[in-house]
Amino acid sequence: MKAFIGLINGMISGATPILLAALGGVFTYYAGVFNIAMEGMMLVGAFFAVLGSYFLGSWLWGIGLAIFGSLALALIFILFAVGLKTDEFVTGIALNLFALGITTYLLRQIFKVKGVFSNPGIIPIPAIKIPLIENIPVLGKILSGQNLMVYIAILITWLSYFLIFRTRFGLRLRAAGYNAARLDSSGVSSAWMRVWSLLICGVFCGLAGAFLSLGYVNLFAENMSAGRGWISLAAIILVNGHPLGVALISLLFGFSDGLGLLLQGYQAPAQFTAMVPYLATLIALYFYAVRAKEKRIR
Amino acid sequence: MDNLIEMRNIIKVYPPNVVALDDVSVDFREGEIHSIVGENGAGKSTLMKILYGLTPADSGEILLSGKTVSFHNPGEAIAAGIGMVHQEIVLIPQYTVWENIVLGVEPVRSFGRLDVEKAQQLVRQKIDEFQFNIDIHARVEDISVAARQKVEILTLLYRNVSILILDEPTSVLTPQEIPQLFNELARLRDNGHTILFISHRLEEVLELSDRITVMRKGKKIATVEASQTNRQELARMMVGREVLFLSRRTTQSPGRVVFHIENLNLRASDGRTRLKEINLDVRSGEIVGLAGVEGNGQFELVNTIMGIQKPTSGRISVDSTDITHAPILERRRKIAFVPQDRGKMGASLTADIVDNAIMTHHRLNDQFSLWSGLLLNYPFARHFTDVLAEKFAVVMPSRSAPFRALSGGNQQKVILGRELMLNSPFILLDQPTRGLDVGSIEYVHDQILHMRSEGKAILMISADLEEIFLLSDRILVLYRGQIVADIPVEQTSLEEIGTLMLEGKPRDE
Amino acid sequence: MNSQRVLNGVVGVLIALIIGAIIMLVQGYNPILTYQALFQYSLFGWYPFATTLKNAVPLVLSGLSAAMAFASGVVNLGQPGQLVMGALLATIGGLYLDLPPELMIPGLALLAMIGGVLWAGVAALLRQWFEMSEFIVTLMLNMIADYFTVWAITYPFKDASAYSPMTPQINPKGWLPLIGDFNTTIFFMIGAVVVMWFFFNRWKAGYEWRITGQNSLFARLGGCDIQKNFMGVMLLTGALAGLAGGLVVMAGPHRFIKGLGANYAWDGVMIAIVANNGLIATFLYGVFFSAIQTGALGMELITDVPSEIAQVLQAILVLVIVASREYLNATLEKVAARRRARIRQT
Repeated sequence: MKAFIGLINGMISGATPILLAALGGVFTYYAGVFNIAMEGMMLVGAFFAVLGSYFLGSWLWGIGLAIFGSLALALIFILFAVGLKTDEFVTGIALNLFALGITTYLLRQIFKVKGVFSNPGIIPIPAIKIPLIENIPVLGKILSGQNLMVYIAILITWLSYFLIFRTRFGLRLRAAGYNAARLDSSGVSSAWMRVWSLLICGVFCGLAGAFLSLGYVNLFAENMSAGRGWISLAAIILVNGHPLGVALISLLFGFSDGLGLLLQGYQAPAQFTAMVPYLATLIALYFYAVRAKEKRIR
Repeated sequence: MDNLIEMRNIIKVYPPNVVALDDVSVDFREGEIHSIVGENGAGKSTLMKILYGLTPADSGEILLSGKTVSFHNPGEAIAAGIGMVHQEIVLIPQYTVWENIVLGVEPVRSFGRLDVEKAQQLVRQKIDEFQFNIDIHARVEDISVAARQKVEILTLLYRNVSILILDEPTSVLTPQEIPQLFNELARLRDNGHTILFISHRLEEVLELSDRITVMRKGKKIATVEASQTNRQELARMMVGREVLFLSRRTTQSPGRVVFHIENLNLRASDGRTRLKEINLDVRSGEIVGLAGVEGNGQFELVNTIMGIQKPTSGRISVDSTDITHAPILERRRKIAFVPQDRGKMGASLTADIVDNAIMTHHRLNDQFSLWSGLLLNYPFARHFTDVLAEKFAVVMPSRSAPFRALSGGNQQKVILGRELMLNSPFILLDQPTRGLDVGSIEYVHDQILHMRSEGKAILMISADLEEIFLLSDRILVLYRGQIVADIPVEQTSLEEIGTLMLEGKPRDE
Repeated sequence: MNSQRVLNGVVGVLIALIIGAIIMLVQGYNPILTYQALFQYSLFGWYPFATTLKNAVPLVLSGLSAAMAFASGVVNLGQPGQLVMGALLATIGGLYLDLPPELMIPGLALLAMIGGVLWAGVAALLRQWFEMSEFIVTLMLNMIADYFTVWAITYPFKDASAYSPMTPQINPKGWLPLIGDFNTTIFFMIGAVVVMWFFFNRWKAGYEWRITGQNSLFARLGGCDIQKNFMGVMLLTGALAGLAGGLVVMAGPHRFIKGLGANYAWDGVMIAIVANNGLIATFLYGVFFSAIQTGALGMELITDVPSEIAQVLQAILVLVIVASREYLNATLEKVAARRRARIRQT
């Protein structure tokens, strides 16, 4: 039972950063932006979270700075891809490498270390105990006591669904992706919708990054986003951008993450257990491709 | 009557050096239907796009009710009461009719929520007011082109637009759908709306308009009262010379069957039948015209013949060789193919002219091979391109220029030349003159007729009924994936084919 | 057209260097001294230049791999994975084979290419059989290859005497010899550029690859075998990336050390993008990027600026050059149009 609860909790914390980044990506997906910069935004977010938490002495500052850093990257994306009309794919690749470069550089410059910065001075984002619910056997240990960011992620999932499918903003956002020319001719600038979607993506990826360095673990490591941005992109593609579908897929990836940790307990080499989420992505892509093919043939 | 809109000395140059409008001045009166006619590329659409704020003019001014205006985007134009329906209808297929109409001016409730009931009610109101007949809950991808056009017009009326610009609205409609549109337009005019109508079809312009402005090569030629002119005069002004609307087809009896389709069926991924029991023969020395409203299976038929899509059942053969399951290269040994979309299927716009001219030949013609087929013989490729350009009168800056630097007519000449030089027994033409100017159309028609006299079997798909009647020996009509008629051209009329295209059966049945 | 491309590159590089200078100024460094040190340790003098060229090899090869793939419409982003797999296979060969150098060196290079081909082949087959997009598949395979090689050098092939994960040194007969200051690995790079250019511009298949990259439907309708071409490009570009990895081992540390792949392959992808998938341009930018990376290490010795600034500088270079390319072209066309309109008016 303890292993089971551990697995579930591992799944939830593994899913959270992917979910947050993917929800950001959902907005750009609907707005018709080929956004592959989630990886970089998350990484910068993670760095700035540690920066804020360590120097300003509060995890709140950490989250604030994470959003700030990630948004800065989103603004560069906007400047190049929306403003100067540079290819989105190129912009995304360059930004991911820029994120890797700037965080490595600043890690060296500010914290005077290479590779990893870990320090008791980094204040983590707290876990939240929900009274009453925490007393329920088994379920209480899962529903209560999770990191604050986990609850925020749940809230944001619902909020994303609401924004995209129930509001005027959502109608226009999806219109920008389906047919930008139509939206423009109806007097709403599709370029602005893309800008908004990227800003939202920036905020969500900032949160994802903050969770990585102040929740999932309590340190900053070079390239610590480790492909999670790409996995979140895969998650979006797999469910055609539906926020609730993204939540489910993220849990699946989180499960493979948790499974990897569990297997490590059984003496499996760490390198192989670390591969599990990427293998899981490949398997998910396989099922997606098979389904798409069946649809085409039928 | 006062001038509602005056456009003065408008100049527009498209990068790098295409002069689209050359000092054009024109005025429009309140409550009139004013047609703007001209060939493709005469500048009609550009002029209207400038009025609508889609494209900025390089110089000149626009007056609306006597005041100078300049719209930077369509939103500003709509706010001032000017709306435009484009030639390519731009709607969001995934959205319903009402969602498309309200997009941009949606009624909302608290928290920015969409007020669905109110939106639907407002749309219904407009539909009742102008007596349009349309289901607001239908998804746009499921409705007909004519209905989509109504959605476009309703979108503008929903925004209380009083000046409507329509860019070639009839080009996507069947002969039977046009009167309904004209009725609706006349009703709008009688309600006080001003309608600017772009077209190159002279009869309908004469039938509908109060006044007509003729444009040619970026210049305005004249504005005339519709009641005081006729088709010949308009045509002369449009083209700058007398035009003959006569077929130059000579009598010639067709030979053996070259191209043969037997019981061809195609079911799409969504389970819908796209092609049903297609049986079709094309003989040598014969042009078969395939008419039909767009979206009735033409696209799928072409794809199946070319090997892009696999048929569910049936047989296709050329020269009595079965090619139903042959790889594309094998088909290309026997089929020359001119696609409807030059940039998507017929060429690579970014590659140079040589690269475009040698496609398919590079595999079928041994002279293109060096080192037993491993290397491409580039000197020969350049020579081949020169021969093609010479033979098909292609005007090009240089062989190594990118394909997109050529004008539409010259692009089509390269593609046509490339395909005809394959010297295949069967030629498949999909809208071979779409988007070309009159001179190029004539050239392409001549080449097609020449191939006919050489004994090729030709299948031509066209949305332009005039073209079909001008060239074909036999006319087939494709309706909902079925061939519903196969009639020699002498035994039919525009009206009969129009009815068949629309209803799938003759009127009297 | 060509001169415009050169102008574009030069302007882009200058703007990027200026932005880099501003960043240095903000942090209180002297940009002129920094750049001086940077290029002193990378371009001025035979030894620095030889080092720059040697370091350029993995950049140029993975750049060529990416450029060939992108120009052919194949989204092979698997260079990082293919590179480490190539390096691993070459290392294993170097540990167990014992042949005279004239056989050993080509043999190890071949093994490296096979490593890359195998890893690219996984993605190619997944696409061929199941129509799985190579884009995300290659990315995931990168991560898997990364962990796999780390496992291989941590357990089965670990140098027992070393404290951190690495293999023992390979047989010295597989070491690439030096000619003066220059490592012979450079010849592999120059050879690859020439051969690839020849493939792309003279081969019949190369013609089809180019056209497929620009408009695959047109190529398909024209009778090109898209599937076969995809396979060919995928395997060839995999071989290039694998070779890059093998050469890093054979020229440099002569063993597989953890983190060997570094960012070579991703930098290669960037270089291809900056070069707009041109093969010669990929070579030139590859050498230039290598100069920045190589010089940065020397620069660190005599200034206070950390060498990681090279990574920042690179990303800025990419963004600025690409953006200026597209912006400049559009602007030039607009200016020409306006001039034309003015002429009409008068």
